[in-house]
Amino acid sequence: MPKNNVAIVGIGQTKFRSKRRDVNIPEMIYEAVKMALDDAQMEPKDIDAILIGNMDHFEGINFSEMWCGIDAAPGYLKPVVKIATGGTTGSSLGICGYYNIASGIYKKILVVGWEKLNEGGATTGIITAFDPVWERPSLAGALGPLALMANMYAAKYGITSEQAAKVTVKNRSNAANNPFAHLQMPNITLDYVMNSQMISYPLRLHDCCPQSEGACAVIYANEVEAKKVTDNPAWFKGVSTAHYYTFGTDDIMYNLPTATIASKKLYKKVGIKDPVKDLDVAEIYEPTSWSELSWTEALGFVELGGGGKLLDEGITQMSGELPVNPSGGVLSTNPIGATALVRFAEAAIQVMGRGGKRQVPDVETALGMGFGGSLWTELAILGKDPSPLR
Amino acid sequence: MGKKEIEFQIKWKTDLPYNYSIGKLAVKFFEELKENKSIMGSKCPKCGKVHMPPRAVCADCLIEMKLEDMVELSPRGTLEGFTVVNYPFIDPTTGGMRPFPYGYGIFKLDGADTYMMHFVNETDHTKFKIGQRVEAVFKEKREGNIGDIPYFRIIREG
Amino acid sequence: MDKVAIVGCAQTKYEAEKIDLTISELVFEVVKKLHNELGITNDDVGCVITGSNDFNDGRTIANMAIQDAVGSVRKAESRVSGDGAFAYVYGAMRILSGEYDTVLVVSHSKCSEGDQFLINNSIFDPFYQRHLGLDQISSAGLMANMYMSKYGITEAQAANVVTKNRKNAINNPYAHLQNKVSIDDVLNSPMLAYPLKELDFPPYSDGAVAMLLTNEENAKKFTDTPVWLKGYASCTDAYYLGHRTMTDLIGLEYAAKEAFKMAEIKDPIKELDVAEVFEAFSVHELMIYEALGFCGKGEGGKFIESGETQIDGSIPVNPSGGVLSSNVAMANGLIRVAEIALQLMDKAEKRQISEANTGLAYGMNGICSQGNCVLIFGGE
Repeated sequence: MPKNNVAIVGIGQTKFRSKRRDVNIPEMIYEAVKMALDDAQMEPKDIDAILIGNMDHFEGINFSEMWCGIDAAPGYLKPVVKIATGGTTGSSLGICGYYNIASGIYKKILVVGWEKLNEGGATTGIITAFDPVWERPSLAGALGPLALMANMYAAKYGITSEQAAKVTVKNRSNAANNPFAHLQMPNITLDYVMNSQMISYPLRLHDCCPQSEGACAVIYANEVEAKKVTDNPAWFKGVSTAHYYTFGTDDIMYNLPTATIASKKLYKKVGIKDPVKDLDVAEIYEPTSWSELSWTEALGFVELGGGGKLLDEGITQMSGELPVNPSGGVLSTNPIGATALVRFAEAAIQVMGRGGKRQVPDVETALGMGFGGSLWTELAILGKDPSPLR
Repeated sequence: MGKKEIEFQIKWKTDLPYNYSIGKLAVKFFEELKENKSIMGSKCPKCGKVHMPPRAVCADCLIEMKLEDMVELSPRGTLEGFTVVNYPFIDPTTGGMRPFPYGYGIFKLDGADTYMMHFVNETDHTKFKIGQRVEAVFKEKREGNIGDIPYFRIIREG
Repeated sequence: MDKVAIVGCAQTKYEAEKIDLTISELVFEVVKKLHNELGITNDDVGCVITGSNDFNDGRTIANMAIQDAVGSVRKAESRVSGDGAFAYVYGAMRILSGEYDTVLVVSHSKCSEGDQFLINNSIFDPFYQRHLGLDQISSAGLMANMYMSKYGITEAQAANVVTKNRKNAINNPYAHLQNKVSIDDVLNSPMLAYPLKELDFPPYSDGAVAMLLTNEENAKKFTDTPVWLKGYASCTDAYYLGHRTMTDLIGLEYAAKEAFKMAEIKDPIKELDVAEVFEAFSVHELMIYEALGFCGKGEGGKFIESGETQIDGSIPVNPSGGVLSSNVAMANGLIRVAEIALQLMDKAEKRQISEANTGLAYGMNGICSQGNCVLIFGGE
């Protein structure tokens, strides 16, 4: 356990949409910030520091935190720092927030992830994440490599398009219970997904996540401060991160080794022996439907190659033993700088019992995941108390 | 009557030019590619892992790979995965749309221990198969950049 | 606050253009140097925190390019998008949490690879400020003009900052510009943004810096002279230039007060032995003196003329030559921390301030001290 325990005491999200033409960037972020402050019953002056992040190139604004941290968040005359790591930006922010409190340096902080990526070009921006000499000329944004991963994963383990499509059906119908989710499809059918256009074999349009605009704000507090504002916080039991080679193609791409490494580290720390039994819900970062199947294996929910079986057996459905992505996941909502933070926030919402229609019954321990970069994984486990399970 | 519509957006377009240093190993790679149609990787002097593309640091050993650690690789490899990119996007290197659909594969060149991705000359995904052999196609007039290998072709027997 | 120590640091020589090095090779140079000097391998490093900026590197997720070089494969690495001093703070937080024994902190920039005007112009919002063509240089001109008018500071007084720092840099083997300039050289250099001339501004440099942080238990394993964090504070001023107080660095003033309080420093000049500050232009350093409380408001010009901030003065500022001699965009704050660490470890060689036991490092984000990070270090 860290020197200071860390609690989430307030959460705000915007209603995620494809284009928020009605607001500019700080106005959009402020919606989430205000919601989080009201949720924690705090005033702007109560916040000690701001962590805020997005991907600079997507909106074309350098040092965006110098603008948004002041104009959209209570950052004036306070510390404002940006953490930005690509798809894992939200979880890197979430984890940096953890260390801000765990170290004892700050007592109450505001963590904000956001993206207004349809103001710029996300695919174009993503291509510039890769090496200009070797990779950019042929790379097709994030979907190209994800398609290759899906292709190899399917071939290695015999996973079918239908199994992948079932993930989209699960997640986007789950999203109908989540008032913030971008794509809410209560009546989505398998045919709808299977008949959608082939975007990058084997990924069909509805195997892929959308591009969403929005913000997520989370307020963290230490033990003393948390008690002042709520008797129902969500506590961090632990966090972990695993990175990999600069070139994502250096190692095999049909599994996610960093998820295996990060989850093993974290499960050991938190005392988790059997994730399906010990976790009550998981919010994982699935940029494509195929990814969710593969990531459930890498996270140890099932043996390698068993992702399709796990889904077919209903274990990850809302009624199953370990519901995955009751919020709708990334397949329903993807505002890149916020996405991974939303996973932590949704895990916290489940622990706090505030999930409304998307609440999984009796949640005590929840997992949140971030994914991005050259196949990196970041994880957090939240619970009703900060102690390990065993 | 003529009521001017409120514009909620402003447009901003700018070129952001960069000069990226490519390093000695890449300079050698492109020299060999241009002059000799030869593809080179870098081999770690400690663990022996052959890296393609070549680079100056072996991440596992955290030691430097130098020019003398470069080794020639075969222009042939085995396809491990493939896709056909079928959506529009702006190419940051040209500022224009990249033409699509295009075939894209991941493979290990014979002699390398890491995979690489590049264009493959097939746009019908039913004509791809994991395990196919692929071979680099070199431009006649090479300039010393990755475009000197415009694509890999699938070696089809018979 | 618990204890966190810097036990070693490494820097590259700062240069105008390291054309033969990729960013990965540049960073690897300092990481390898640090490992060798401390006698450690990558297994001894718990996690890595890096500092970089996407626009500067011309690469989204700029830290992806350096994963191999910093040894973060299978490890935790995270990136602060901003000045390296903030990366130091995050690294220190990881140690103070009790969850890591060692943290490697690395920061780099290759200013030669990008168009600095466009990169800095992009900091300004696209609605009101960007098409004015504002960047670091023109904003500095505005700030200098307002400060100097308010307090009657002269260009000649400000030029003393340049002559001091450029002379100091001659003793720093890493510094980019290592040649003296005279007051006349500064005053006669071409006007870039009134009242600031070319020599009032720093060069653009390529380089990298790395350091290893550890906790109290492990510090003595690495060095007999660990450098301890005594005080830290950060404060951000307003964004729009029109909302800022352009005549005083109030963000820095607040941060300094908090940091001094934490470090139990009541009289900065007496209790600090050395300071390394991020002086983005000559006049800036005068404003920094005032904000740090080295002298009263409006007395920056007189203070530099007193000679107290020279290397033989009561509060030497920038014995390394400062940013005016080596301007490695995103790494400047971490370089300031490294230079203070070297001073407190008694390893600063020709630029060593004798008996340096307490030092201040100042790193900055954004335009003209919008974001401020003040760090106080002690040798005991």
